[in-house]
Amino acid sequence: MTMKITVVNTAAGGSIRMELEPYEKVSDIIDAAADYWGEGAGAFVLRKGPKLLVGSRTVEEVNLSDGDTVEMIPDPEGGR
Amino acid sequence: MDSDRFDRMRRIGWLDMDRISRSRCLVAGAGALGNETVKCMVLAGFRMIDVVDMDRVAGSNLSRCVLFRDGDEGCRKSEVLARRAKDLYPDAEVRPINSKVQDLTEWDYDLVLGCLDNFSARMHVNSHAVYHGLPYVDGATDGMTGKVQVVLPRGPCLQCASNGSHARTADLRFSCTGDSHVFVPRMAAEITTTSVIAAVQVREAEKIASGRTDLCAGGITYYNGEDGTMDTVGLDIDPDCPNHPGDRQ
Repeated sequence: MTMKITVVNTAAGGSIRMELEPYEKVSDIIDAAADYWGEGAGAFVLRKGPKLLVGSRTVEEVNLSDGDTVEMIPDPEGGR
Repeated sequence: MDSDRFDRMRRIGWLDMDRISRSRCLVAGAGALGNETVKCMVLAGFRMIDVVDMDRVAGSNLSRCVLFRDGDEGCRKSEVLARRAKDLYPDAEVRPINSKVQDLTEWDYDLVLGCLDNFSARMHVNSHAVYHGLPYVDGATDGMTGKVQVVLPRGPCLQCASNGSHARTADLRFSCTGDSHVFVPRMAAEITTTSVIAAVQVREAEKIASGRTDLCAGGITYYNGEDGTMDTVGLDIDPDCPNHPGDRQ
């Protein structure tokens, strides 16, 4: 069943509403959101409440449901 | 009492200074994070530290690397870092390894700390640590933000937390000429973020070395220096992660 969730961009601010099918993967959400915000060059993770969502899992497997809000967080790479 | 270098630390009940001094540690990366991490480690009583880095000191390192000095430009980072760390704690046995971490063949350690600057090297260290059953404390920064992930044996690893965006970013780091060099862009960096992240890494290392992994932050700790927040997010093992074949469904 199709569901609508809100993705919040914690770095740049703003949010988008996305329509998802249960079989779509967490990494698909990240790709679509990063593409929307023109953030294709960086790495991101998706968080729902106190948990990080595993990229290879489907929307159904991570128990996302209609009306949920998730946060997209930039994943730092540096150390120099 | 005041002649005992670690007297104040011995007053912290769970810190096991004897185990800390006997822990064989690998620090991967001798840049900004590596400097801060090694500094905290030797001051905290870690004695047996190998530091691996292939790079040489550049002038732009001097704003963030506490153990580098004017005049070190062009010298091997791992050698300078090892020498100056011994100034801080002469009993420390800090051994420089001048190579890429990907070329390390010996993984005879109790603990690994990642102070790297690209995903490819992190994933390499992560997979070796998981394979050898070594605790791995990874740190990363980007300007005013940073993170620390503690990887314990049989727990979720760095790859469990990665997705397609990490793979694409790693791909961007390889030059289009097809050779094996990693291109690391000039990322924003600032010493206070580096200090916070390195301090958290070493604190987690103290817990592991003291045999108190039950105190370790579970998951990934994210730090945002702009709004002054630090938050630990839980993480599960990815059943598709190649580092955890036993957990595959």
